[in-house]
Amino acid sequence: MSPIKNNIVLVILLFLAGISGSAQDLLQILEEERPEQLQYAEATFKTTRITFGHSVETRKKGILEIFVANRFWDSPAPRSQSFFADRLSTRFAMEYAATDRLSTGLGGTTWDGLFDGFLKYRLFRQSDGKEGPPVSVTLFQNASYYSKGEINPAIEDAFADRISFTTQALIASKVNRNLSLQLAPTFVHKGVSYYGEPNNDHFALGIGGRYKLGSHLSFVSEYYWLLNPAEAPQTFGPFSVGVNWEIGDVMLQFMLTNAVGMVEEAFVTGTRNNFNFRSPNLNFGFNVAYIIHFKRNLRN
Amino acid sequence: MNRFLILVCFMLCPSQQLVAQKVIARQGRIAFFSYTPVENIKAENNQVLSIIDFSNGRIAVSMLMNAFIFEKALMREHFNESYVESDLYPKATFEGEILDFDPLLKEQQTRIINGNFTMHGVSQALEIKTKIDYKDGNYEVSGSFEAMVNDYEIKIPPLLAGNIAKVITVDFRFEYEPYQE
Repeated sequence: MSPIKNNIVLVILLFLAGISGSAQDLLQILEEERPEQLQYAEATFKTTRITFGHSVETRKKGILEIFVANRFWDSPAPRSQSFFADRLSTRFAMEYAATDRLSTGLGGTTWDGLFDGFLKYRLFRQSDGKEGPPVSVTLFQNASYYSKGEINPAIEDAFADRISFTTQALIASKVNRNLSLQLAPTFVHKGVSYYGEPNNDHFALGIGGRYKLGSHLSFVSEYYWLLNPAEAPQTFGPFSVGVNWEIGDVMLQFMLTNAVGMVEEAFVTGTRNNFNFRSPNLNFGFNVAYIIHFKRNLRN
Repeated sequence: MNRFLILVCFMLCPSQQLVAQKVIARQGRIAFFSYTPVENIKAENNQVLSIIDFSNGRIAVSMLMNAFIFEKALMREHFNESYVESDLYPKATFEGEILDFDPLLKEQQTRIINGNFTMHGVSQALEIKTKIDYKDGNYEVSGSFEAMVNDYEIKIPPLLAGNIAKVITVDFRFEYEPYQE
Protein backbone atom coordinates (compact mmCIF):
# COMPACT_ATOMS: atom_id res chain seq x y z
CA MET A 1 0.00 0.00 0.00
CA SER A 2 1.31 3.42 -0.88
CA PRO A 3 1.72 6.04 1.87
CA ILE A 4 -1.03 8.13 0.26
CA LYS A 5 -3.50 5.29 0.48
CA ASN A 6 -2.42 4.71 4.08
CA ASN A 7 -3.26 8.29 4.91
CA ILE A 8 -6.65 8.11 3.22
CA VAL A 9 -7.49 5.06 5.29
CA LEU A 10 -6.36 6.93 8.41
CA VAL A 11 -8.50 9.97 7.59
CA ILE A 12 -11.54 7.78 6.88
CA LEU A 13 -10.98 5.90 10.13
CA LEU A 14 -10.75 9.16 12.10
CA PHE A 15 -13.90 10.42 10.41
CA LEU A 16 -15.75 7.22 11.24
CA ALA A 17 -14.51 7.38 14.81
CA GLY A 18 -16.01 10.87 15.05
CA ILE A 19 -19.37 9.63 13.81
CA SER A 20 -19.49 6.60 16.08
CA GLY A 21 -18.67 8.89 19.02
CA SER A 22 -21.68 11.04 18.22
CA ALA A 23 -24.00 8.07 18.33
CA GLN A 24 -23.45 7.94 22.09
CA ASP A 25 -26.58 8.26 24.20
CA LEU A 26 -27.51 11.93 24.57
CA LEU A 27 -28.71 11.64 28.16
CA GLN A 28 -25.39 10.00 29.00
CA ILE A 29 -23.58 13.07 27.68
CA LEU A 30 -25.77 15.37 29.77
CA GLU A 31 -24.94 13.34 32.87
CA GLU A 32 -21.24 13.88 32.24
CA GLU A 33 -21.80 17.58 31.60
CA ARG A 34 -23.62 18.18 34.87
CA PRO A 35 -21.40 20.10 37.28
CA GLU A 36 -20.62 18.25 40.49
CA GLN A 37 -22.65 19.65 43.32
CA LEU A 38 -22.75 18.79 46.97
CA GLN A 39 -26.26 17.61 47.81
CA TYR A 40 -27.53 18.32 51.29
CA ALA A 41 -30.01 16.21 53.19
CA GLU A 42 -33.23 18.18 53.06
CA ALA A 43 -35.90 18.20 55.75
CA THR A 44 -34.27 16.07 58.44
CA PHE A 45 -37.27 17.18 60.44
CA LYS A 46 -39.96 19.35 58.97
CA THR A 47 -40.77 21.31 62.09
CA THR A 48 -38.38 23.38 64.17
CA ARG A 49 -39.34 21.20 67.17
CA ILE A 50 -39.35 17.41 67.32
CA THR A 51 -42.06 17.51 69.98
CA PHE A 52 -41.24 19.93 72.83
CA GLY A 53 -37.52 20.25 72.13
CA HIS A 54 -35.85 22.02 69.25
CA SER A 55 -34.80 20.07 66.16
CA VAL A 56 -31.82 20.90 63.93
CA GLU A 57 -34.15 22.57 61.45
CA THR A 58 -34.09 26.29 61.02
CA ARG A 59 -36.38 28.17 58.69
CA LYS A 60 -35.18 29.76 55.48
CA LYS A 61 -34.38 33.45 55.36
CA GLY A 62 -37.32 35.78 55.70
CA ILE A 63 -39.75 33.30 57.24
CA LEU A 64 -41.73 34.33 60.29
CA GLU A 65 -43.22 31.48 62.23
CA ILE A 66 -46.14 32.17 64.55
CA PHE A 67 -45.76 29.38 67.03
CA VAL A 68 -48.47 28.52 69.54
CA ALA A 69 -47.87 25.58 71.83
CA ASN A 70 -50.48 24.25 74.25
CA ARG A 71 -50.41 21.68 77.03
CA PHE A 72 -53.59 20.33 78.60
CA TRP A 73 -53.69 18.26 81.74
CA ASP A 74 -55.96 17.28 84.57
CA SER A 75 -55.61 17.91 88.27
CA PRO A 76 -55.30 14.81 90.46
CA ALA A 77 -58.67 15.59 92.11
CA PRO A 78 -61.02 12.61 91.72
CA ARG A 79 -63.89 14.77 90.49
CA SER A 80 -63.65 17.69 88.16
CA GLN A 81 -66.20 19.85 86.37
CA SER A 82 -63.76 21.51 83.97
CA PHE A 83 -64.59 21.57 80.31
CA PHE A 84 -62.16 19.40 78.32
CA ALA A 85 -59.20 19.74 80.68
CA ASP A 86 -58.49 21.14 84.14
CA ARG A 87 -55.33 23.02 83.27
CA LEU A 88 -53.99 24.72 80.20
CA SER A 89 -50.66 26.30 79.50
CA THR A 90 -49.93 28.14 76.27
CA ARG A 91 -46.71 29.49 74.87
CA PHE A 92 -47.11 32.18 72.24
CA ALA A 93 -44.03 32.87 70.20
CA MET A 94 -42.78 34.67 67.12
CA GLU A 95 -39.81 33.06 65.50
CA TYR A 96 -37.98 34.72 62.65
CA ALA A 97 -35.22 33.47 60.35
CA ALA A 98 -32.77 36.30 59.73
CA THR A 99 -30.70 34.13 57.37
CA ASP A 100 -30.93 30.55 56.15
CA ARG A 101 -28.75 29.60 59.11
CA LEU A 102 -29.70 31.97 61.91
CA SER A 103 -33.09 31.96 63.58
CA THR A 104 -34.32 33.85 66.56
CA GLY A 105 -37.48 33.79 68.62
CA LEU A 106 -39.34 35.40 71.49
CA GLY A 107 -42.06 33.75 73.50
CA GLY A 108 -44.14 33.84 76.63
CA THR A 109 -45.76 31.02 78.56
CA THR A 110 -49.02 31.52 80.44
CA TRP A 111 -48.73 28.84 83.14
CA ASP A 112 -45.42 29.74 84.73
CA GLY A 113 -45.04 33.27 83.38
CA LEU A 114 -41.82 32.40 81.66
CA PHE A 115 -40.60 34.78 78.96
CA ASP A 116 -37.94 33.40 76.70
CA GLY A 117 -35.78 34.37 73.78
CA PHE A 118 -33.48 32.21 71.73
CA LEU A 119 -30.87 32.18 68.99
CA LYS A 120 -30.42 29.14 66.83
CA TYR A 121 -27.54 28.77 64.39
CA ARG A 122 -27.21 26.08 61.78
CA LEU A 123 -23.51 25.16 61.86
CA PHE A 124 -23.31 22.15 59.51
CA ARG A 125 -25.70 20.57 57.12
CA GLN A 126 -25.61 16.88 56.47
CA SER A 127 -24.52 16.07 52.93
CA ASP A 128 -25.26 12.99 50.89
CA GLY A 129 -21.89 12.66 49.24
CA LYS A 130 -18.51 11.63 50.57
CA GLU A 131 -17.51 15.22 51.15
CA GLY A 132 -19.05 17.29 53.90
CA PRO A 133 -20.25 16.29 57.36
CA PRO A 134 -22.40 13.16 57.78
CA VAL A 135 -24.57 14.92 60.38
CA SER A 136 -26.35 18.23 60.73
CA VAL A 137 -25.32 20.37 63.68
CA THR A 138 -27.27 23.32 65.04
CA LEU A 139 -26.29 25.41 68.05
CA PHE A 140 -28.99 26.67 70.33
CA GLN A 141 -28.86 29.26 73.08
CA ASN A 142 -31.76 30.65 75.04
CA ALA A 143 -32.42 32.84 78.01
CA SER A 144 -35.64 32.94 80.00
CA TYR A 145 -37.07 35.24 82.64
CA TYR A 146 -39.35 33.89 85.32
CA SER A 147 -41.96 36.61 85.90
CA LYS A 148 -44.24 35.02 88.49
CA GLY A 149 -44.58 36.69 91.90
CA GLU A 150 -42.47 35.56 94.77
CA ILE A 151 -40.22 32.58 94.25
CA ASN A 152 -39.29 31.91 97.83
CA PRO A 153 -39.63 34.43 100.66
CA ALA A 154 -36.50 33.10 102.27
CA ILE A 155 -34.21 34.01 99.41
CA GLU A 156 -33.39 37.37 97.93
CA ASP A 157 -35.36 38.19 94.81
CA ALA A 158 -32.80 39.61 92.40
CA PHE A 159 -33.26 39.96 88.66
CA ALA A 160 -30.29 37.68 88.00
CA ASP A 161 -31.91 34.95 90.08
CA ARG A 162 -34.88 34.88 87.74
CA ILE A 163 -32.87 34.39 84.58
CA SER A 164 -32.02 30.91 83.27
CA PHE A 165 -29.89 29.86 80.32
CA THR A 166 -29.88 26.76 78.16
CA THR A 167 -27.16 25.86 75.70
CA GLN A 168 -27.61 22.99 73.29
CA ALA A 169 -25.74 21.35 70.47
CA LEU A 170 -28.32 19.63 68.29
CA ILE A 171 -26.77 16.84 66.26
CA ALA A 172 -29.01 15.02 63.82
CA SER A 173 -28.75 12.54 61.04
CA LYS A 174 -31.27 11.74 58.35
CA VAL A 175 -30.55 8.02 58.37
CA ASN A 176 -32.82 7.31 55.42
CA ARG A 177 -35.78 9.01 53.81
CA ASN A 178 -38.08 7.97 56.65
CA LEU A 179 -35.91 7.88 59.74
CA SER A 180 -34.15 10.85 61.34
CA LEU A 181 -32.42 10.74 64.71
CA GLN A 182 -31.14 13.50 66.94
CA LEU A 183 -28.84 13.79 69.94
CA ALA A 184 -28.88 16.96 72.00
CA PRO A 185 -26.20 17.49 74.63
CA THR A 186 -27.71 20.18 76.84
CA PHE A 187 -26.45 22.47 79.55
CA VAL A 188 -28.93 24.34 81.74
CA HIS A 189 -28.04 27.08 84.17
CA LYS A 190 -31.05 27.65 86.34
CA GLY A 191 -31.26 31.06 87.95
CA VAL A 192 -34.52 30.35 89.69
CA SER A 193 -33.91 28.57 92.94
CA TYR A 194 -37.17 27.52 94.50
CA TYR A 195 -35.73 25.75 97.50
CA GLY A 196 -32.34 27.41 97.76
CA GLU A 197 -30.69 24.38 96.16
CA PRO A 198 -26.99 25.02 95.76
CA ASN A 199 -26.46 23.28 92.42
CA ASN A 200 -28.10 25.14 89.60
CA ASP A 201 -26.09 23.81 86.70
CA HIS A 202 -27.53 20.76 85.00
CA PHE A 203 -26.37 18.54 82.19
CA ALA A 204 -28.77 16.57 80.07
CA LEU A 205 -28.79 14.52 76.91
CA GLY A 206 -31.75 14.72 74.60
CA ILE A 207 -32.59 11.83 72.31
CA GLY A 208 -35.23 12.24 69.63
CA GLY A 209 -36.36 10.87 66.34
CA ARG A 210 -39.00 10.90 63.67
CA TYR A 211 -40.31 8.21 61.42
CA LYS A 212 -42.32 9.22 58.38
CA LEU A 213 -45.69 7.51 58.19
CA GLY A 214 -46.68 9.21 54.95
CA SER A 215 -45.62 12.11 52.81
CA HIS A 216 -47.17 14.62 55.21
CA LEU A 217 -47.33 12.73 58.49
CA SER A 218 -44.60 11.51 60.79
CA PHE A 219 -44.32 9.75 64.12
CA VAL A 220 -42.05 11.51 66.61
CA SER A 221 -40.67 10.80 70.04
CA GLU A 222 -38.25 12.52 72.37
CA TYR A 223 -36.61 12.03 75.75
CA TYR A 224 -34.22 14.13 77.81
CA TRP A 225 -31.99 12.27 80.21
CA LEU A 226 -31.04 14.59 83.06
CA LEU A 227 -27.57 13.58 84.27
CA ASN A 228 -27.54 15.52 87.55
CA PRO A 229 -31.10 16.26 88.64
CA ALA A 230 -31.68 18.49 91.63
CA GLU A 231 -32.07 16.55 94.88
CA ALA A 232 -35.26 18.35 95.78
CA PRO A 233 -37.83 18.66 94.42
CA GLN A 234 -37.73 15.39 92.56
CA THR A 235 -37.83 15.74 88.76
CA PHE A 236 -38.10 13.28 85.92
CA GLY A 237 -36.86 13.18 82.38
CA PRO A 238 -39.38 14.64 79.95
CA PHE A 239 -40.69 12.10 77.47
CA SER A 240 -43.10 12.38 74.57
CA VAL A 241 -44.69 10.47 71.73
CA GLY A 242 -46.63 12.20 69.03
CA VAL A 243 -47.35 12.87 65.41
CA ASN A 244 -46.38 15.84 63.28
CA TRP A 245 -48.56 16.80 60.38
CA GLU A 246 -47.84 19.43 57.74
CA ILE A 247 -50.51 21.08 55.63
CA GLY A 248 -48.78 23.62 53.45
CA ASP A 249 -47.98 26.69 55.53
CA VAL A 250 -49.43 25.18 58.69
CA MET A 251 -47.67 22.57 60.76
CA LEU A 252 -49.42 20.75 63.56
CA GLN A 253 -47.89 18.69 66.32
CA PHE A 254 -49.86 16.42 68.61
CA MET A 255 -48.19 14.71 71.53
CA LEU A 256 -48.59 12.91 74.81
CA THR A 257 -45.99 13.95 77.33
CA ASN A 258 -45.19 14.40 80.99
CA ALA A 259 -43.53 17.78 80.39
CA VAL A 260 -45.62 20.82 81.22
CA GLY A 261 -42.86 23.24 80.26
CA MET A 262 -42.36 24.42 76.72
CA VAL A 263 -39.10 26.28 77.30
CA GLU A 264 -35.87 24.29 77.56
CA GLU A 265 -34.97 24.96 81.18
CA ALA A 266 -38.57 24.30 82.23
CA PHE A 267 -38.96 20.89 80.63
CA VAL A 268 -35.40 19.66 81.10
CA THR A 269 -35.05 20.48 84.78
CA GLY A 270 -38.60 21.19 85.89
CA THR A 271 -40.69 18.16 84.92
CA ARG A 272 -42.20 17.11 88.20
CA ASN A 273 -44.07 13.99 87.12
CA ASN A 274 -42.97 10.82 85.42
CA PHE A 275 -44.61 9.69 82.21
CA ASN A 276 -47.75 7.64 82.73
CA PHE A 277 -51.43 7.84 81.85
CA ARG A 278 -52.70 9.18 85.18
CA SER A 279 -53.55 12.72 86.17
CA PRO A 280 -51.72 15.05 86.39
CA ASN A 281 -48.84 13.16 84.79
CA LEU A 282 -50.32 12.92 81.34
CA ASN A 283 -50.26 16.07 79.27
CA PHE A 284 -51.81 16.39 75.88
CA GLY A 285 -49.73 18.72 73.75
CA PHE A 286 -50.84 20.56 70.66
CA ASN A 287 -48.54 22.89 68.74
CA VAL A 288 -49.48 25.02 65.76
CA ALA A 289 -46.89 26.73 63.60
CA TYR A 290 -48.10 29.12 60.96
CA ILE A 291 -45.49 30.14 58.45
CA ILE A 292 -45.39 33.54 56.76
CA HIS A 293 -42.88 34.21 53.98
CA PHE A 294 -41.54 37.75 53.93
CA LYS A 295 -39.05 36.94 51.22
CA ARG A 296 -40.20 36.00 47.75
CA ASN A 297 -37.60 34.10 45.78
CA LEU A 298 -38.82 34.79 42.26
CA ARG A 299 -39.20 38.11 40.57
CA ASN A 300 -41.78 38.46 37.86
CA MET B 1 0.34 13.56 -0.46
CA ASN B 2 0.44 16.61 1.77
CA ARG B 3 -1.71 18.53 -0.64
CA PHE B 4 -4.20 15.71 -0.62
CA LEU B 5 -4.43 15.73 3.19
CA ILE B 6 -4.95 19.48 3.27
CA LEU B 7 -7.70 19.08 0.71
CA VAL B 8 -9.41 16.45 2.84
CA CYS B 9 -9.12 18.72 5.86
CA PHE B 10 -10.66 21.61 3.98
CA MET B 11 -13.46 19.41 2.85
CA LEU B 12 -14.25 18.17 6.33
CA CYS B 13 -13.44 21.01 8.67
CA PRO B 14 -15.53 23.90 7.31
CA SER B 15 -18.64 21.79 7.16
CA GLN B 16 -18.13 20.82 10.78
CA GLN B 17 -17.65 24.41 11.82
CA LEU B 18 -20.70 25.66 9.99
CA VAL B 19 -22.94 22.92 11.36
CA ALA B 20 -21.68 21.51 14.62
CA GLN B 21 -22.65 17.90 15.10
CA LYS B 22 -24.17 18.62 18.47
CA VAL B 23 -25.24 21.69 20.40
CA ILE B 24 -25.67 21.91 24.14
CA ALA B 25 -27.55 24.21 26.53
CA ARG B 26 -26.11 24.32 30.02
CA GLN B 27 -28.33 26.95 31.56
CA GLY B 28 -31.67 26.07 30.12
CA ARG B 29 -34.67 27.49 31.88
CA ILE B 30 -37.79 25.58 32.80
CA ALA B 31 -40.62 27.19 34.74
CA PHE B 32 -43.87 25.65 35.82
CA PHE B 33 -47.10 27.21 36.99
CA SER B 34 -50.06 25.98 38.93
CA TYR B 35 -53.02 28.33 38.99
CA THR B 36 -55.92 27.75 41.37
CA PRO B 37 -58.37 30.17 42.96
CA VAL B 38 -56.69 29.49 46.31
CA GLU B 39 -53.05 29.89 45.42
CA ASN B 40 -50.72 30.43 42.47
CA ILE B 41 -47.55 28.43 42.54
CA LYS B 42 -44.59 29.19 40.33
CA ALA B 43 -41.17 27.56 40.19
CA GLU B 44 -38.10 28.05 38.08
CA ASN B 45 -35.04 26.00 37.25
CA ASN B 46 -32.19 27.78 35.49
CA GLN B 47 -29.73 24.91 35.36
CA VAL B 48 -31.44 22.58 32.94
CA LEU B 49 -29.18 20.70 30.55
CA SER B 50 -30.16 19.95 27.00
CA ILE B 51 -28.44 18.63 23.91
CA ILE B 52 -29.42 18.29 20.26
CA ASP B 53 -27.77 15.95 17.81
CA PHE B 54 -28.08 17.50 14.34
CA SER B 55 -27.21 14.28 12.56
CA ASN B 56 -30.53 12.71 13.51
CA GLY B 57 -32.56 15.53 15.08
CA ARG B 58 -32.61 13.89 18.46
CA ILE B 59 -32.93 16.03 21.58
CA ALA B 60 -32.43 15.25 25.27
CA VAL B 61 -33.17 17.31 28.39
CA SER B 62 -32.15 16.60 31.96
CA MET B 63 -32.88 18.55 35.13
CA LEU B 64 -32.44 18.15 38.85
CA MET B 65 -35.73 18.43 40.68
CA ASN B 66 -34.18 20.07 43.73
CA ALA B 67 -32.81 22.90 41.57
CA PHE B 68 -36.30 24.36 41.20
CA ILE B 69 -36.65 27.66 43.02
CA PHE B 70 -40.07 28.49 44.39
CA GLU B 71 -41.64 31.76 45.34
CA LYS B 72 -41.87 30.49 48.92
CA ALA B 73 -38.89 28.65 50.39
CA LEU B 74 -41.08 26.17 52.24
CA MET B 75 -42.77 25.13 49.00
CA ARG B 76 -39.46 23.91 47.66
CA GLU B 77 -39.06 21.70 50.72
CA HIS B 78 -42.58 20.30 50.39
CA PHE B 79 -42.14 19.82 46.62
CA ASN B 80 -38.98 17.75 47.04
CA GLU B 81 -39.91 15.92 50.20
CA SER B 82 -43.63 15.22 49.85
CA TYR B 83 -44.56 15.46 46.18
CA VAL B 84 -41.84 14.57 43.64
CA GLU B 85 -39.75 12.68 46.23
CA SER B 86 -36.49 13.95 44.80
CA ASP B 87 -34.46 11.71 47.08
CA LEU B 88 -35.80 8.71 45.15
CA TYR B 89 -36.21 10.42 41.78
CA PRO B 90 -33.64 13.22 41.66
CA LYS B 91 -33.99 13.93 37.94
CA ALA B 92 -36.59 14.56 35.31
CA THR B 93 -35.55 13.79 31.76
CA PHE B 94 -36.87 14.15 28.24
CA GLU B 95 -35.70 12.24 25.20
CA GLY B 96 -37.18 12.76 21.80
CA GLU B 97 -36.89 13.80 18.23
CA ILE B 98 -37.46 17.11 16.47
CA LEU B 99 -39.57 16.24 13.45
CA ASP B 100 -38.41 17.68 10.08
CA PHE B 101 -35.70 19.72 11.73
CA ASP B 102 -33.36 21.47 9.31
CA PRO B 103 -30.26 22.79 11.11
CA LEU B 104 -29.19 24.66 8.00
CA LEU B 105 -32.30 26.83 8.01
CA LYS B 106 -31.09 30.06 9.58
CA GLU B 107 -34.48 31.45 10.49
CA GLN B 108 -37.31 30.84 12.91
CA GLN B 109 -39.04 27.52 12.44
CA THR B 110 -41.88 25.86 14.30
CA ARG B 111 -41.48 22.13 14.76
CA ILE B 112 -43.08 19.31 16.67
CA ILE B 113 -40.95 17.45 19.19
CA ASN B 114 -42.02 13.92 19.92
CA GLY B 115 -40.64 12.08 22.88
CA ASN B 116 -40.87 10.70 26.39
CA PHE B 117 -40.85 12.79 29.51
CA THR B 118 -39.84 10.96 32.69
CA MET B 119 -40.55 12.41 36.12
CA HIS B 120 -41.17 10.82 39.50
CA GLY B 121 -40.23 7.51 37.88
CA VAL B 122 -43.09 7.69 35.36
CA SER B 123 -42.64 8.07 31.59
CA GLN B 124 -45.23 9.78 29.45
CA ALA B 125 -45.23 10.33 25.69
CA LEU B 126 -45.37 14.02 24.82
CA GLU B 127 -45.86 15.96 21.63
CA ILE B 128 -44.66 19.52 22.03
CA LYS B 129 -44.99 22.37 19.57
CA THR B 130 -41.69 24.20 19.66
CA LYS B 131 -40.27 27.41 18.31
CA ILE B 132 -36.70 27.10 17.08
CA ASP B 133 -34.86 30.39 16.63
CA TYR B 134 -31.49 31.07 15.13
CA LYS B 135 -29.86 34.08 16.79
CA ASP B 136 -26.25 35.24 16.45
CA GLY B 137 -25.13 31.85 15.28
CA ASN B 138 -26.81 29.96 18.09
CA TYR B 139 -30.02 28.02 18.29
CA GLU B 140 -32.73 28.78 20.77
CA VAL B 141 -35.56 26.36 21.46
CA SER B 142 -38.62 27.45 23.40
CA GLY B 143 -42.20 26.44 23.96
CA SER B 144 -44.60 25.18 26.53
CA PHE B 145 -46.66 22.13 27.31
CA GLU B 146 -49.09 20.93 29.92
CA ALA B 147 -48.66 18.04 32.30
CA MET B 148 -51.29 16.33 34.40
CA VAL B 149 -50.18 15.85 38.00
CA ASN B 150 -52.09 12.57 38.06
CA ASP B 151 -50.16 11.13 35.11
CA TYR B 152 -46.93 11.15 37.11
CA GLU B 153 -48.37 9.46 40.18
CA ILE B 154 -47.78 12.54 42.35
CA LYS B 155 -50.08 12.32 45.32
CA ILE B 156 -51.82 15.42 46.62
CA PRO B 157 -53.58 15.09 49.98
CA PRO B 158 -57.31 15.87 49.75
CA LEU B 159 -56.89 18.80 52.14
CA LEU B 160 -54.53 20.52 49.70
CA ALA B 161 -56.31 19.50 46.50
CA GLY B 162 -57.65 23.04 46.14
CA ASN B 163 -54.18 24.57 46.32
CA ILE B 164 -52.53 22.62 43.53
CA ALA B 165 -53.81 22.62 39.95
CA LYS B 166 -54.52 19.32 38.25
CA VAL B 167 -52.84 20.55 35.09
CA ILE B 168 -49.44 22.17 35.38
CA THR B 169 -48.21 24.50 32.63
CA VAL B 170 -44.54 24.10 31.81
CA ASP B 171 -42.52 26.75 29.91
CA PHE B 172 -39.05 26.08 28.60
CA ARG B 173 -36.29 27.98 26.84
CA PHE B 174 -32.88 26.62 25.91
CA GLU B 175 -30.03 28.55 24.32
CA TYR B 176 -27.59 26.22 22.65
CA GLU B 177 -23.92 26.54 21.90
CA PRO B 178 -21.67 24.17 19.92
CA TYR B 179 -20.72 21.11 21.88
CA GLN B 180 -17.07 20.01 21.85
CA GLU B 181 -16.63 16.32 22.46
